[in-house]
Amino acid sequence: MDRSSARSGDVSETLTAPASQTRDTSWERFESLYRSSRDDVYAYVSTLLRDPAAAEDVTALAFERAYRRRRTFDRRRGEERAWLFGIARNAALDELRRRRRVAALVTDPEDTVEVDADDAEVALRRTAVQDALAKLPAREREIVALKFHAGMSNAELARVLGVSESNAGTLLYRTMEKLRKACNATR
Amino acid sequence: MPHVDQDPIDPEIAATLDAIDATLAGEPVDGRYAEFAEIALLLASDKPQVPPAFAHSMDSKVERRFAPLDGKQRRFGARAPHGRRRWSGVWQASGAIAVAAAAVVAIAVVAGPGTGGSSMSSSSAAAGAASTGVTAAASSSPGSSASGAAASSTPSVHSSASRSAKSQSALVPPTNSSTASSGTGALGSGTSAPTLQPPTTGRKVVQGAQLNLSAAPNQIDDVAQEIYDVVGQANGIVQNSSVTQGGSGGGANFQLSLPSAGLAQTMSQLSSLTYAQVISRTDSSQDITDQYGAATRALADARALRTSLLKQLANATTTEQIDSLEAQIRDAEASISSDQATLNRLNHQVNYSVVYVTVRARSVAAPVSHGGGGFTVGRAAHDAGRVLTVAAGVALIALAALTPIALVFALGWWGASVLKRRRREQALDSV
Repeated sequence: MDRSSARSGDVSETLTAPASQTRDTSWERFESLYRSSRDDVYAYVSTLLRDPAAAEDVTALAFERAYRRRRTFDRRRGEERAWLFGIARNAALDELRRRRRVAALVTDPEDTVEVDADDAEVALRRTAVQDALAKLPAREREIVALKFHAGMSNAELARVLGVSESNAGTLLYRTMEKLRKACNATR
Repeated sequence: MPHVDQDPIDPEIAATLDAIDATLAGEPVDGRYAEFAEIALLLASDKPQVPPAFAHSMDSKVERRFAPLDGKQRRFGARAPHGRRRWSGVWQASGAIAVAAAAVVAIAVVAGPGTGGSSMSSSSAAAGAASTGVTAAASSSPGSSASGAAASSTPSVHSSASRSAKSQSALVPPTNSSTASSGTGALGSGTSAPTLQPPTTGRKVVQGAQLNLSAAPNQIDDVAQEIYDVVGQANGIVQNSSVTQGGSGGGANFQLSLPSAGLAQTMSQLSSLTYAQVISRTDSSQDITDQYGAATRALADARALRTSLLKQLANATTTEQIDSLEAQIRDAEASISSDQATLNRLNHQVNYSVVYVTVRARSVAAPVSHGGGGFTVGRAAHDAGRVLTVAAGVALIALAALTPIALVFALGWWGASVLKRRRREQALDSV
């Protein structure tokens, strides 16, 4: 049965629960949430931390925490997806704190992006955007990650960040404006 | 928690955001937003991809519901959760310590006044009487039971505590001290006190006693009648009495005058009444031998003076001498009368002891042993109610002890949460 999500299409297989375990609606909801959000959570965390290895750890930890707390989720306080990203955000920030205490940030060298079809102009623009994104503060980089990598709406973005929707929209606009100026400056 | 969206967003910003959303949805946008649209598309296309190995690991991890794999506790996220779990353990341990401390406090509060249990029982007894009130007061001789006590039927049961009190011996304090007091305390425990016999060396001793009894609210009359009977058998006097049957203050008070010669036996009988239990008993004595001797000597001197004055009066010749001697004789006779009255009063005090008897109605809920002590539904319900009352009391005390602790922990938890949230945000700003 194909129960893939519209947002994360990479997870298409059905995860089967052990036969000994009875029907658990909270588990089914979690499983569905995992399938629809795994790639988005990883992308968000990876962009925020700029460390693929740490992003894997934090993503795994976030899902494990969500699994442990799945029965405490209160739908009246927001959607499950925002709740999951809140957990992932806390885990990522804890990782940032831990790294700040332990050692300076050491990031893996970025993979070379292979551009097959893009022409040179597009490749240059892409590089410019990547450079501008890398220079953004973590707070603004997080907004980009939530919006464009996690595919969140402005309302969801506001719930995860704990701000009003208009405030989230303004923050996103300012970040985009900053990226636009940075890209134009490199031209 | 999401904030309430109160501030309206700038129209230009809103239009830009709409254009970005439209671009991501694959819809055409106005040329004014071409740059934003291009950046949005480039950002979206640069989404980090999940490494296949990690995706496979995560899938298997979720499939087994994060259960440890081959004894290994964790494969991912081995670093970050340690701190949280350590703090979680601390909080759990703190909670357990708080609960244990509250339990100890509750137990201490409950068990603390254990030695005063009898006094608690007596105070509750006063509040547990029936509501119908019949009050009578009398000043009568021992045989006049009609003065205050209502007629009562002969009960077929009595408390075991009352029976245990019967084993108490009369306490007679030593009489060679000027003032002595002894024997205050609950006597219903069943322990047998030794009988103290005062020395019979001819000294004059004034004795007294205070006896506090408890009885079932509906047996106050029976106890009063028993007291009257005992006083009558001892040839004593009920100087005054007050008997209240029923009501919240049910009880009786007696002031008795009992022959001192049989006081020990009479007190023993009063302590062994069928329907009453001894709560406390106080025996007192006062040696008045010196005072008695002084009064006797004063009387003898006054009589000797009067005899001498009478002889002088017989030999007097002048009117003045006669008048003076007659005046002195009147004074001497007045002294004799006064000294004689003092002597009589002292004799009465020595020969008759004043005994105060107080009877209190005990609580209806107090444990009462019915004859053979067989199990009945009524007794079971009574015991169950008692257990529930005690349990509710313990729970209330525990709650009172736990509330401030819980408040402190709640404040600590709230402060820790705020601090943690702030530090997380600071971590975001510092990168």
